[in-house]
Amino acid sequence: MKRLMLLSFVFLLSGCSDIAVLNPKSVTGQEQAYLIWLSLGIMTLVILVVFVLFAWFTFKYRYTKNKDGFVPTDVKGNLKLELTWTIIPFVLLAILAVPTIMTTYDHSPELQADNREGADKEGTHINVTGQQFTWTFEYENGKTVHDELIIPEDETIVFHITSKDVIHSFWIPELAGKVDAVPGRVYTYEIKDAERGTYRGKCAEYCGIQHTNMVFNTEVVSKSDYEDYLKKPDNQDD
Amino acid sequence: MNQYEAALFNDKKFGFLIYLFVEAIMFLTLFATYLIFTPSSEGPHPSDVFETKSVILSSIFLLSSSGTLIMSERGLEGKQLKKLIPWLGVTLLFALVFLGLEISEFYTYVQEGYTLSTSSFLSSYYVLVGLHAAHVAFGCGWMIVLFIQLKRHIPHSLYIEKYKIFSYYWHFVDIVWIGILLVVYVRYIF
Amino acid sequence: MYIPFFEKHVPSDVIAAWVSVIIIGIVLATYVIKQNKWSVIWEYMRTTHHRKVGTLYMIFGFLFFLRAGVDALLIRSQLALPQNEFWLFQFQKYNEVFTTHGTMMIFFAATPMLLGLMNVAVPLQIGARDLAFPFLNAVGFWLFFAGGMLFNLAFFFDSAPAIGWTGYAPLSTSLFTPDVNSDYYVFGVQISGLGTIFTALNIIVTIFRHRAPGMKLMRMPLFTWASLITSFLILVAFTVLAIGLYLLMFDRMFDTKFFNGPDGDPIFWQHLFWIFGHPEVYILALPAFGLFSDIITTFSKKRIFGYPAMVISIGTIAFLAFTVWVHHMFTVGLGPLVNTVFALTTMAIAVPTGVKVFNWLFTMRGGVLRMTTPMLFSLGFIPSFVMGGVTGVMLSVSAADFQFHDSHFVVAHFHYVILASTILGIFAGIYYYFPKITGYQLNEKLGKWHFWLFLIGYHLTFFPMHITGMNGMPRRTFTYDVGEGLTATNFISTIGAFLMGIGVAVMFYNLFITIRKKERVGSDPWDGRTLEWTVASPAPEDSFQPMPIVKEMDPYWYAKQRGEDLETTDEKLASPISRDSIIPFIMANLLAVLSFGLMYGWIWLAVLAGAGVFMCFIIRAFRDEREQYYGKGEDGHESV
Repeated sequence: MKRLMLLSFVFLLSGCSDIAVLNPKSVTGQEQAYLIWLSLGIMTLVILVVFVLFAWFTFKYRYTKNKDGFVPTDVKGNLKLELTWTIIPFVLLAILAVPTIMTTYDHSPELQADNREGADKEGTHINVTGQQFTWTFEYENGKTVHDELIIPEDETIVFHITSKDVIHSFWIPELAGKVDAVPGRVYTYEIKDAERGTYRGKCAEYCGIQHTNMVFNTEVVSKSDYEDYLKKPDNQDD
Repeated sequence: MNQYEAALFNDKKFGFLIYLFVEAIMFLTLFATYLIFTPSSEGPHPSDVFETKSVILSSIFLLSSSGTLIMSERGLEGKQLKKLIPWLGVTLLFALVFLGLEISEFYTYVQEGYTLSTSSFLSSYYVLVGLHAAHVAFGCGWMIVLFIQLKRHIPHSLYIEKYKIFSYYWHFVDIVWIGILLVVYVRYIF
Repeated sequence: MYIPFFEKHVPSDVIAAWVSVIIIGIVLATYVIKQNKWSVIWEYMRTTHHRKVGTLYMIFGFLFFLRAGVDALLIRSQLALPQNEFWLFQFQKYNEVFTTHGTMMIFFAATPMLLGLMNVAVPLQIGARDLAFPFLNAVGFWLFFAGGMLFNLAFFFDSAPAIGWTGYAPLSTSLFTPDVNSDYYVFGVQISGLGTIFTALNIIVTIFRHRAPGMKLMRMPLFTWASLITSFLILVAFTVLAIGLYLLMFDRMFDTKFFNGPDGDPIFWQHLFWIFGHPEVYILALPAFGLFSDIITTFSKKRIFGYPAMVISIGTIAFLAFTVWVHHMFTVGLGPLVNTVFALTTMAIAVPTGVKVFNWLFTMRGGVLRMTTPMLFSLGFIPSFVMGGVTGVMLSVSAADFQFHDSHFVVAHFHYVILASTILGIFAGIYYYFPKITGYQLNEKLGKWHFWLFLIGYHLTFFPMHITGMNGMPRRTFTYDVGEGLTATNFISTIGAFLMGIGVAVMFYNLFITIRKKERVGSDPWDGRTLEWTVASPAPEDSFQPMPIVKEMDPYWYAKQRGEDLETTDEKLASPISRDSIIPFIMANLLAVLSFGLMYGWIWLAVLAGAGVFMCFIIRAFRDEREQYYGKGEDGHESV
């Protein structure tokens, strides 16, 4: 029985390792995944307690024929118990809150006055512009490409994200969380140390008729490949 | 008013108070909107738009209409129509003057090219002040109905009820105007 | 198909909708003519009585629920397989369907059905003879009706809105959606929202001023408490939404600059929307919490565990509801400080919610649990809701939310909480109060089928969605590719959705045969605890004659335990005056006509309808139902 449970647990974990968000390919994504795992862990505790109590009470106190006419005694409350389930959640949440605050301070996108602000941040800078229904990426040397993002591995990439029309949201699930692209605002968002590979990028904020198809291809390449790529002329005409 | 009527009147008072609470939230949200969008980076600055004279004049009329309504209310107890009718008439008159001034103010602004769609400051200005003016206009209609009710020989206790509810409404509309004065005008006029 | 009146190509789903509506219409009309039910329809059009208005709320809420449910099935059919092309639900059509699904479920199904239950149960629970303002109650209902119908019409004219139920600017402004589609959203929601505010106001006054003698606030049943606090939430939340929509309307019709242009701020819409939108979640959940509390106590034969804590936690949740709206906007880029603050407040809401869960569990402990259908729904609620609550805490972790946000994980989360609380609550409430509404009791066996089908379908649909979302599926997309690892979970979700559909069909059948059978039940079919079970089933129009005196919580239960009748008083209490009137019906529908005129630019129609609305105000002022009861001296009330 024990082995069976262990087996199923292993199975569950191996299932999870396939899930994009839980198994990200960048440091930023891993920090976010850590928070997901942590919160999932703490919350599993809560779920277990509730489920066990629920199953136990439902089974034990269900109506059976021999309980006919039995009137249970009223319990108005129990201060100790009630304090317990007020305080313990507080403690659990406090445990969760600390890393939440730290990572949030680290990861939150920053509002910039324009494209140039935040240029002093260390890393490779790329301007991202959402527009119904394409993504435009402008590299440091002015090279401009649609719907295809090439970034170097193991480096901090600073995205300057904005939109030309409605709100979009810039998301590469396997690398990191999303940032909205808002018309009239520029946000900087950093993705750190991506692994080499090909990932799918998406628009995550509903933006109109072709929202589903507003996807882009992301390739993380070696630094030298990246340099070569930058030197090649734009692959698109505008 | 017997006990029964008083109880129902209290229901109505309480209900109307909650309604005014809803109105207050509406206006507060619009005040917030105005504060967010004013002054806007493009389009005219508020101090270029507002005309002191018409603001002061319309304020005098609207705010004193609260006073005249109180004068009129004194005639309610004991049904002294000689007090009630003329003062209510003056209140209505003041409200109409206020409306006239508002309309001419809006008209002037529009003539000068400051329209609803010129800038987000003007958008929020017209929406806020316009909604208030709509309330005044509604109040004018209400006063006319109150005049007609007088002719209809309904039970006096019911008339008191209707009249009182109106007076809460009217004072509320005045308070909103004070808010508008402080938030919208004063900061950019003086 | 090209149809002249539409002056364009009409898609087959619209034709199907017209055909089915015409067929249903003919069937209904024949039934009405054959059975000669015109008088009943006329009666309900003019009614101001709380039970009847509540019934209307339930009927139309349920109707819209079915419509929105069909939308959900269309969505799930399209998403069943990768690169699927189901009927014509891709692109615009798909966008329209999910917009309608969300808007209808929130505004025209869940909210009104809860208001319907409040209408029926709250006055009976506290010993009031009607809501404080019966006329206003009818106005509130017909406004909801008019708004809902207006919103529904959009589909039949092939112009359903496609901006999501959140209507984010600037997509929702005339710059990007210039057609009437989005106007249906703006006006439909605006009108029904107005009705909701009026009903909330009514419930507050009723609860504060029309309780039976001795029914202190801390003796009220928890459903009444929840209704009271929910009503306060409605007053603030729906008013802010009304202003948001008002500004959006100006942006769309008069080209103002609130949500677009160089100075306009699309984020401002999100603030307004979520200051409404988050409390709305609790507007949906709290009444259900109240219902579950009452049902669990009744079928455990025990009083609620920790009553004061239950009341306090409802209040705390309601208060905190206004402090968390930015957690819908973590990815908007409001900065780390704002994100952190709202992450913490969001987490805090878990505490009072947890208190409630444990109090329910400990109410059951030591009781005798009778597994009736309402109880089953309440029991199904507890673990399901906790699962939704738990993902809520996960979402509150703001940096992790960057991944979750706007993905199917969020879809899974909010369906978990809203279905578990609101929809299961409404089902439980319908089974529980059906005797009070109609005088009949729903079939228990079918009820259990309904429960199990729905519950299994529900978990089958939404549990896999967590994984779908974490595998990178954004919400509001109509398809996905083969290699993305989204196929299996999506397919399971679709199966689950159809199971839920079958569950609701069983319920529909149950309603049908129960009403057909006409087997009357007594006033107290569930062995209840509170005052509503002392009046006849269905609740009569002159309830509580004579008026009971309340000396404790759950007074009816303890009186039954002692083998006594409830003590009563002959003292006359001022009760609301209810008189039938057609004005609410006319007024609300004229408002819909007015909106119609504005939307299509038929100014003459708008002006005419507007004048009509004001005429209704004036007629109402001169035909006050209080006229004949006032001015009768000190004992004027004998005629009431």
